[in-house]
Order: sequence, then C-alpha cells, then structure tokens
Amino acid sequence: MRFLPFFLSLTLAGLAALPLRADVPEAVNKVILPDLAAFTQATEGLARTASQGCDAQALKAPWNAAFDAWLKVQHFRMGPFEEGGRGLAIAFWPDPKATGARQMRALLAAQDPQFVTPEGAARLSIAARGLYGLSTLIWQAPQGDYACKLRAALADNLVRMAQAMEDGWRGGFAEQLLDPGADGHTLYLTQDEARQALFTQLIAGLEFNADQRLGRPLGSFDHPRPNRAEAIAEGRSLRNVTLSLRALKTLSDALAQGLGATPQTDAAFAHALQLAGDLDDPVFAGVETPASRLRIEILQQAVRDIRAKATGEIGALLGVSTGFNSADGD
Amino acid sequence: MKNKGTTMKRIILALLAGTALGAQPLAAQTQSIDPAAVIDTYADIAQAGYADSLSTAKALQAAVATLIANPSEDSLEAAKQAWIAARVPYQQTEAFRFGNAIVDDWEGRVNAWPLDEGLIDYVDPNSAAINEENDYALLNIIANKTVTIGGQSVDTSEITPELLSGTLHEAEGIEANVATGYHAIEFLLWGQDLNGTGPGAGARPYTDYVQGADCTGGNCDRRAAYLQAAADLLVRDLEEMVANWDDDGEARTVLEADPADGVSAILTGMGSLSYGELAGERIKLGLLLHDPEEEHDCFSDMTHLSHYYDGLGIRNVYTGRYTRVDGSTVSGPSLSDLVRAADPEVDTALRGDLESSVAALGAMKEAAEGGMAYDQMLAMGNDQGKELIEGAVSALVTQTRSIERAVAALGAQATVEGSDSLDDPNAVFQ
Repeated sequence: MRFLPFFLSLTLAGLAALPLRADVPEAVNKVILPDLAAFTQATEGLARTASQGCDAQALKAPWNAAFDAWLKVQHFRMGPFEEGGRGLAIAFWPDPKATGARQMRALLAAQDPQFVTPEGAARLSIAARGLYGLSTLIWQAPQGDYACKLRAALADNLVRMAQAMEDGWRGGFAEQLLDPGADGHTLYLTQDEARQALFTQLIAGLEFNADQRLGRPLGSFDHPRPNRAEAIAEGRSLRNVTLSLRALKTLSDALAQGLGATPQTDAAFAHALQLAGDLDDPVFAGVETPASRLRIEILQQAVRDIRAKATGEIGALLGVSTGFNSADGD
Repeated sequence: MKNKGTTMKRIILALLAGTALGAQPLAAQTQSIDPAAVIDTYADIAQAGYADSLSTAKALQAAVATLIANPSEDSLEAAKQAWIAARVPYQQTEAFRFGNAIVDDWEGRVNAWPLDEGLIDYVDPNSAAINEENDYALLNIIANKTVTIGGQSVDTSEITPELLSGTLHEAEGIEANVATGYHAIEFLLWGQDLNGTGPGAGARPYTDYVQGADCTGGNCDRRAAYLQAAADLLVRDLEEMVANWDDDGEARTVLEADPADGVSAILTGMGSLSYGELAGERIKLGLLLHDPEEEHDCFSDMTHLSHYYDGLGIRNVYTGRYTRVDGSTVSGPSLSDLVRAADPEVDTALRGDLESSVAALGAMKEAAEGGMAYDQMLAMGNDQGKELIEGAVSALVTQTRSIERAVAALGAQATVEGSDSLDDPNAVFQ
C-alpha cells in the first residue's frame, strides 16, 4: 500500500499550517505537547488535594502521579524549562549540599506568612520548591498550620510552573523548533539546528540516568553511596530510571520516525529496560553488596550503551551531532 | 571546577582532518588559513596565561611569607591583593580546561570549588559549613595533629605540601574536600563570609597569624604552615602547567600532532565553559538557589572577577589575542580567521556574542566594584542583581549557540566522546 503514506502526507500538508517533517514535528506534536499537558493535569490533581485538607498522607498518591508525569518531560531542558530556572524549580535534584533541607528547615522555623502566598512561594529558593520541596513536606509530614499552608502553596506554585512551561511551548517555543529560521524565529535557524536541539536532549537525558540516577548511589566500589539515590523516602529510585528510559525511548522513536530504522538503539533500550524490570531493588540499596551492586552497574552500562548506539544511529539519521548541554563542564 | 570525570565532550571536526564533507561548499576557502598556525597561537596564549598565573602566584607566595613573618592589617591586605591579582590571569586560562584533558585532569588541584572549608580550619558551627554528604566537612586539620580518614589514623603534626596534596585533597574521593589551590588560600586569607547575602566578605583577623599569646583562632603556627604550604604548592602546580605548554610540552605537542583535533579542543573549551559550567553551574544556579554558598569566590566576594575573566578568556582563544599582565599582547592567526573563511556570518555573529557576554560580565563586575557584591546580587528580592546575573547568563547561552554554529561551519562530523570513568558524580547544573 505504498500510496497510502503519500496520500496521507499530502492531506496533512494541505491541512497543517506548519511545514511537515517527520522527526521534529513528530516529537513536538505527538510527544512533548501532550506530555506537558498531562504533567500540568497531574500537578492540578496534587494541588486540589493539598487545598482540601492537611492530611499529608493523602498527598502521596497524587504526588507520585505528578512525578510519573514529570519523568516524561523532564529531559526537555530547553526554552520554557530553562526560563527563570523553571525546570530546576520543579525538580531540584541532586542536591549534594542539602540546600533544600536547609532552606526548608529555615522556612518552617520562620513561619513567614509571605511565603504561603502564590507570589511569595514563587520567590523561594528553587531547592525548597517543586516536587522535592513537597516531598519533604509530605513524607516527613511536619505538623501544624504553617506546614499545611506551605504544602498547599508549593503545590499551587507547582501547577503554575507546569502551566507556564506548557504555555511557553504552545505559545511560541514549539514554533521555533517546528519552523526554524522563519520570521522572528531566531533561536534555531535551520532544520538541522532544531533537530540537533532535540537530539541533544535525548542524549543528555540518557547521560542523566547513567551519571546521576545510577552513578550517584553507585559511587565507587570502595565507597558506594546508597544515601545518594534519588527519591529514597518515596521508594522510587528505580522506578524513576525505568519511566525515564521509557520516555526517552518514545522520544527516540519520534526522532527517527520517517527517517529510518534504529535497530541497535531499539535493542539497547529493550535490554536496559529488561535489566531494570528484573532488578528487585527499588532504592538501589544493593550498591553496597558486590553481587547486587554488579546488577546496578550492568544497568548503568546498558544505559550508556543506549547513548552510544543512539549517538551513532539516530545522529546519522538526523544528520546532526549533539550540541552543548547544561551538564557539560564539571 | 571540580574534576568530576563525567562525560567529556569532544567535537570531532572532519573537515580539518582532510575528510571534507561534501556539504561544506565554503570548505575550500579555509585552506588559506592554516589550522596549525591557529593551534600555535592558541598554545602561545596558554603558555603566556599560565606563565602570568605563575608569576602572580609567586608574588602571592612572597606576600604570604611576609604576612606570616610580620602579621599586620597591612601585610594581610597585601596578601589579599596579591591573591586578587593572581586570579586575573588564571581565570583567563579556564578556557583551556575543557577540551584539553591534561588541563582538566590537573585543574582540581589549583581551582577546586566548592569546598567544605571546615576541613581546613575553624568555621562557625551555625553556618552552612556542614555537609551531610561529607564526613570530613569539619575535620579541621589546623586544629588537629592526628585525624582519622577512611578508618586510618593520619599524622598531621607537620603540615606539608605533600600532606595537603597527597592525603587530604579530595580525601575519600569527596570533591568538597579541597585542601589545596586558590580557594583554600582564599579561605585562609579572608575566612568565612558569615554575612549571607548581605554586604561584607570574610573578615579573618590578621591576628589569626600572630604567634604567641595574641594568636586568635588557635593554632596560629599551624595555620601559618598551612597557608605557606598551600601557596608553595600552587606555585609548584603552575610550574608544571607552564611546562606543559612549552615548545616540547605535552599539552602543546598533543595539539600540534593533530590540528583538527586541536581546533575541536578550542571549540569544546569555549562551549563547555560558556554554557554548562559558567552560565549554568557557577552563575544561574546560585541565583535560583538564592544561596551565597553558591558563590564562586565566596570568602573574598571576588566572584565577579572570576566570571569576568572567564568571559575574557573565552574571547581570547577565539580571537587569538591575549593581553598579558605586563600589558604586552600575544596574538596570531585565530580560530576566528578560520571560521570567517568558512562562513563570515557565523564569525561575525560569534564575535558579536563574545563582545556582548564580556560586556554583560563587565556590568556585573562594575556593579560589584560599586558596592553590590555578587552574593548580594543573589539575594531574594534583589531585582537589580537578578537582572545583572540573568543578563550574563543570557549572553553566555546565546554565544553557545554561535559556537555550535561555528562547529557546524567548520564541518563537525559527529560526535561525543564519553569518558567512562564513573566516580561519584556530584551536583552539576542540570
């Protein structure tokens, strides 16, 4: 049925205001925009519960749902994510100097009423805000009226940030990627630059899982650092890796869509996800024991292998190399 | 700053390696500029920059010796001025770090940051000096003649350069254990800045170096020994790096052996420092956290100088021109010439961006010199400070895109080379 795709593309080209290309539009329209909307929705659920009462326990499920939704968009560290540090304010991790804990303690001790208003909450240090600030208030569940109001204020602030990020994409940033170099679109000048921008997010997202989510608790063989795993209190260090890899696979598929097959990348993703699925260690506590540590190291290696395969295979399909990303440097 | 061994990106330039991509119609024009000559200029600037860093570090070493011999307000102030002067050339060399493994592997010894200063000397127990991830954050070498590290008792009765670099620096693999380099010396001269995001830098009294009954802070003899050892070590480390850039030095010969790879080293250094390191980790993150602990030169409040001279250093390596501390210049065929031959528009844009970022960092420097220190700019509610910081971040991000365009213009092939070391990656601006 060779005529069908041709027919479809003609029809779509006729309907769509934007130039039709497989990779970037596929990623923007079918992945990024819907997932941003889903994240906003999830944060609204959390804020609704937080506004209805002071039971911290009741916030665990909606917080987890919001975090699940976040993992689908966390790796798009560009444009509206970067503006005013929004993405980091949504989820500030890792926090090696425990800045969040320090700021949260000070906040709860001072009980300053200005910070439980929408304007005040927006001015707080990013380390005390977002999903991680809320996590402290939910899992450690400090008692009292102020803590309750702060939960509601931070949840409200989270909704605003999610909405602003979605609005930023819908209100211009998506167009910059979809129609690079057009009038007023100076961020990306060519299709290659737009492709490179998204491709860089894929690679950097894989690096984040290998170097941070897995690398931090692994530490070194002599000094494993189980306490450095992500979201230990919430029991979801491994879940975060799994969901993030699934989301990156979706992005990888979208980028390659219409350009060619990516058998090596697909196999590498499948392998890593299989390893993650077989790993019965939700917070990577096993890093301290040689046998269980090995399995986590193998998972890390598998994630690095995805990066290597995707760099070659998808980079070649897109005709671009990765650009600089924010984790370059140290 | 920290040498984390995370992924080190290297752009691979296919064009200059003689495998010109067909898609580069202007490629032929670049043949009029010899990449080897560009590399020569780059290495000459590196050599001059490290030589200037060395000469100013020697002046610091002498000023420290004077402070120790004759502690006074004046001799402490003279040592601080020597430290500030030493930072000017050194920060400009940071453009050489990313992209040159020999520099990146070495730099943690001289410029590691952030540090848990309680490892070295007394700190205010109510300050943020406590680091939950570092058992040695309050080790206080100056006050203790034996310490336990990794279950082993360590004799610290004599404070020597070898003790600092061999045993204490990055003890237990924790990068916040910074025992050596500019920031350790900075702490020993200024002391902790306990003013938060308010005005004022660290205010260590000169009497911390007075021997005998008037000694403040305790262990003035050991503090003096530590300071001198750290200054001696800095000089020694810089001597090593100057030699690396001599005519037969390893850093230079590696680049000369493969000029294409050398050009990629220049671009990698420019992009990584501009974006992830400077715009991200060192500048934007502090603003977002509103945390003075995130200030780069947090004891002296001289962060504005660090940022400004980093910016200047990036411009130096692109334009192939460095103004030495004695006012003379080192210049020659530049990366800018090479890019201009490939795509004049990209070159013009990148030059403009570099001017803009130097100007934005200059505005930050001017404000700091006018009385609003960098840590005050970070304060919650300081809109003017926020604007200055965001202006610098924005200029650096913009120039990174132009650097990427320069890579494309020169015919970047692919890709990223990963370092496979997986030591404990610390917080990076993500």
